[in-house]
This record gives sequence, C-alpha cells and structure tokens, in this order.
Amino acid sequence: MGGKTKLENGVSELYLSYGGLITPLGDTVTENFENMRSGKSGVQKVSESGFNKEDWPLGKITSLTSENRYTEILEKICDALIENVGNEVLSNERTLIIISSTKADITALPSDTFTSTRAILKKKLNPAHAPLIISNACISGVMAINTAADYIIADKYDTVITIGIDGLSDFIVYGFQSLFALSDQSSKPFDKNRTGISIGEAAGAIVVSNKKPENGAFCVNYLGGSSSNDANHISGPSRTGEGLFRSINKTAERSNIDIQDIDFISAHGTGTLYNDEMESIAFDRLNLNSVPVNSLKGYFGHTLGAAGIIEVISTMLMMEHGLLLKSPGFEEQGTTKKINVLSENLEKEIQLALKTASGFGGGNASLILKKSL
Amino acid sequence: MSELKETLKAQIIEQLNLEDLTVADIADDAPLFGEGLGLDSIDALEFIVLLEQNYGIKIADPSEGKEIFQSVDSLAAYIEKNQ
Amino acid sequence: MKILVSCKISDQGVYLNGEIQQKYAKETDNWKKDIYSKLELDYPKFYKMDALAKMAFIGFELMESVCSFEHFEDNDVSLLFANRNSSYDTDLRFIESYTEKGSPGPSLFVYTLPNILTGELAIRKKWFGENIFFIQENFDAEFFIDQINFYFRKGSKACLCGWVDSANDKEECFLFVVENTEGEITPEELTKYYKQ
Repeated sequence: MGGKTKLENGVSELYLSYGGLITPLGDTVTENFENMRSGKSGVQKVSESGFNKEDWPLGKITSLTSENRYTEILEKICDALIENVGNEVLSNERTLIIISSTKADITALPSDTFTSTRAILKKKLNPAHAPLIISNACISGVMAINTAADYIIADKYDTVITIGIDGLSDFIVYGFQSLFALSDQSSKPFDKNRTGISIGEAAGAIVVSNKKPENGAFCVNYLGGSSSNDANHISGPSRTGEGLFRSINKTAERSNIDIQDIDFISAHGTGTLYNDEMESIAFDRLNLNSVPVNSLKGYFGHTLGAAGIIEVISTMLMMEHGLLLKSPGFEEQGTTKKINVLSENLEKEIQLALKTASGFGGGNASLILKKSL
Repeated sequence: MSELKETLKAQIIEQLNLEDLTVADIADDAPLFGEGLGLDSIDALEFIVLLEQNYGIKIADPSEGKEIFQSVDSLAAYIEKNQ
Repeated sequence: MKILVSCKISDQGVYLNGEIQQKYAKETDNWKKDIYSKLELDYPKFYKMDALAKMAFIGFELMESVCSFEHFEDNDVSLLFANRNSSYDTDLRFIESYTEKGSPGPSLFVYTLPNILTGELAIRKKWFGENIFFIQENFDAEFFIDQINFYFRKGSKACLCGWVDSANDKEECFLFVVENTEGEITPEELTKYYKQ
C-alpha cells in the first residue's frame, strides 16, 4: 500500500490540521462541509460585475460588510485561527506564518498592496517572526504547504500556519473577462459544455506541524510535494500536461508511494477548455484514469491564492468523513482523455489523496496526503 | 492605404505595449504571430480590442482573428473592406 | 554551494560577477532594448514582456553570455525569486487600460503577477524545474540561502535566484545562479554581490 514517509532530517511525520475556512459557503470548516455535502454552491450571478455591466457568476461572500473585502476576509481568518489554534501557538518562537495570495489588497493601489496584510497579521496574531508571503499565481496555496514542510524538515520551526487568501475585485474580474475566460454560467470543470471560470473569494488556513494537534483534532499526514514549470507559455497550459506530469511524478517519488495507490484526486479543474483538457492528459499519462477526481471550484469559484489551501482543507474533510464530494457542474465527459469525475457524492474511505494545481507563469504543483493512523 | 498601415503599426505598438519597438521595426508583410513579432493568442485578443476601439469593427469570435491578423497588410486590407 | 555567476543591474550600471561592464552601460531609458540589441539575441517574445520580465530576461542573458548552463538537464534548476512590489508597474498600467483607455487589456493582465518572469525564463531555457516567488520587504540573503538549501535537499543541481523589482521609477535587478557543490556561502558574501 505504500505511504511510509520519506521525510528526512529526523522529522518522521508532518501533520496538517484545520486552521479555519471563510468562503461563500460559510465561516467555519463544519458549515462549509455541510453545505458542500448537500450540494450547495456559493457561486451566483452578481449583477453588473462585468466591465460592460454583465452579470457574471462569482463566488462572492455575501456576509461581508466592509468596503475592503480583502482585509475583512483576512481579519475573519485570523479570528478563526485564534479560536482554533490559540494565541500561544500563533505567537510562539517556533511558529512561522506563510501567506499565499495573488493580488492581496489590490484596491490599495497606488499604495503598496501587502502593507495591510503584514499589519493585520501583526495586530491579530502577534507572530514572533515576520510572515512569509508567496505570490505565485494559482499554485501559491499548494506551494505554501510545500514550503511549510521545507521549514519544518530543516528544523527551523515546529509549526507553520499557512493562510491562503484572495478577495473579489474589479481588477480580477475585468482581467479574466478581457481574456474571454469567464463563464456565463457557473463553471463546469471537465464537462463537455464548459466555457470558462467563475472567480471566487475565500481564505483558508492549515496548520502544518511535526506534532499532531494536542487537542486530538483531526489531522492528516503530509507525505511530500513539488512544483514543475511547463516551460511552454506564460498563461496557457502545456498541451501535453508536461509540467503537471513531472510534478506528480516528483511528488510521488518524494512521498515514497506508488502512483497507482492514489485513491482520490482533488484536481485544479478551472472549467476552461485548455486547463481541464491538460489535466486529463496528465492524469492519463500517469494511468490515473479510474481514480475518483473532482474539482471543488463549483462550490466556491476559483479562489486564486486561496484555492490550494481551501481545496486541501476540503480534501481533508473528505478524508475525515469518508465521503467524496461530487464535482459541481459536471454532467458529461468533456476531455479527450477519460477520467473518473465524480458526478455524485460517494462514500469511500481515502488513504492517499493527491492535490494538484496549475497557474499563470507555467506553474504546476502537487502534494500528497495520507490518512493518519 | 500606406498611411493606414503606418497608423496601424503605431497602434499595434501602443495597444500591445511593445514599448521597445518603433514603427520602422515592423515590415508591412512580416508575420505578426508565431515567428516575426512572436505574438500569441492573448495578443490576438488585443487586436480585437484595437479594431473595435479605433475602427468600430467588431469581431465576436476570437478564432476568426487568425487570418485577419496575419500581418499589417492583411489587417489593413480587412479594415478597408469592413469600415 | 557555490555562486556560478551573478548579475546586478542598478543605477550604478551593469555588473557581472562583481565587475562593472562598460559595454553594457545603461545609457538611455531604453537600456533594456539597448542591451538586448548588443547581445544580438533573436527572441521576439522579448518585446512584449513587461518591464519586470524584460529585466530578468536581460539579467539572465548577460549571465549566460559569460557562463554556460548547458550541463544542466531540464529538471535540474529551480527558480527562486522575490521582490518587494510584486507586479506594481504593470498593475497600474492594467488599471489604466480600463479606467482611461477604454477597456481592460489582456496582454497587460497576463503580466499582473510577479511570477510571470520565472515563466519567461523557464520558457527561454526549456527548464521544467521547481519555481516559486515570494514578496519580501527587502532582499534577505539568509532567506535565499535557506530556500536554496531546501531545493538542494530535494534534488536540484542548481538554483537560479533573483531579486527583480520595479516601482515608481526605481528598478532593481539582481540575479545569481548557485550550484550544488562543495563550499558554503555566507549571507554576508551574498549581500556583498547584491549591494553593488
């Protein structure tokens, strides 16, 4: 079955546990899972959200009240961390915080867009060290977890809090609109009739640690992760899925597992013609055609810098509850290579889960989780 | 027609932010995509914007662009025909 | 670890391996195109890169003009980059495209992410290795050395690293390639190369 960890340097196990989850489907991990389980979607048409006043479907957190969506979401995820993790861990000398965001406080322009992030984290979480910020397009969230693992394996920290966050903005919506990348219906990843993405906003936090949570809270093992560039185009994915193919291979090798033992894939699945086609080609090249796979973007929208984190949290929830969630929007196979996209919820115990992500700049990243004993 | 072509070259440079290029750097018949200027499918979208904003010509389907945007020559010919 | 080659481009000029390069002096505002021409490169994609990507590209080509990377295979090199201001200049230009110039510009939007420059370098060299981009308040040599060690531990033979920033008319470009060989580099040594 594999899964004996290959982590080195005296660190034999790395654990991921829930830090918090703020999305269009709720403000807690539990609330989010209940809504996903019952098939709810946080993606709705938002009136006049387009450059020409089109009503684009977006994953908007409707409970926000402040003018600055990003900072309000950041404050909320900090509050969740304080409640779930506690001040003592958050401000510990052996704790690091890593933020993953593509545009941060974009509405602050022409002032700096990361200043408020540092200020809010400092004020609310009182960390012992300056947080690290990763801004690497849509693979940022997965890279944050991989980087957290690097620091703990090197014995620089015992705990790393990874926070993925992006807020909705005209900047983002107009940008994807200009690429003709937005779907006029909620996105349909891997489906024959997919026409594009639905942007969303969210924040998620995962605690990465060399110890299981002291309060016995649910956790999974992180076995390994990697990234690989397509070396092909700055905004379109490789037609052969080369970068993703290489990343999954590297990740499996670092995790000391046999790729064929993976029993669930949380794909990137944005709903564009090209991304989903590319992913199916990569999975096919690795003979992963029959492994249950979903894209979670139909629940929240494509949350960019938050995506990797909130989708790993969702994967952990599926592992915790022995329930695979359907891939919203999927009705009929729409990729050249056949893959096993979940069209219904499925009760199944998962031992090994693969998370993949791809993004602008030719980036591809992946990581593998194992159910903790 | 040649005045249109010179204007087009300046507009292409402006629209696509090709700051380091001058009008003299773009030959009338040089391929704009692939080889030549190395433009790609994203840049083709800019041509659609350019045609609409500067010449009032609307191209609804981005995939039509491939032939029209081949070179300054083909672009100028299309504009003359459709204005 | 050993620094194979480094390039620093600042107001003071262009430095390769700590030595000023008079022939590549920054003479005009168009210095990136000037150096591109002097290097006699044939890479039309250069013209549509944004300022950040152009700087990284030029810095890399300057390094390659004095140092060969041919012994690296396509999985061998990790790209580790950081800056202070993300894609600030291009962000403002993109906003301008839809607030003042009539409609949002797709060819600008694709450059409104700082890591696009790592994509450009990967495409140029057909390198499929790891890549990551951080936002930091200042160049931090110790941070880079930590990251390099992480990627060496994971199997990289070399890291192409850079601090490439542009905002409010202040441009900075510091690139270096570190190979996984004998020896140590101290943060002080690395900072010296940066401060040229």
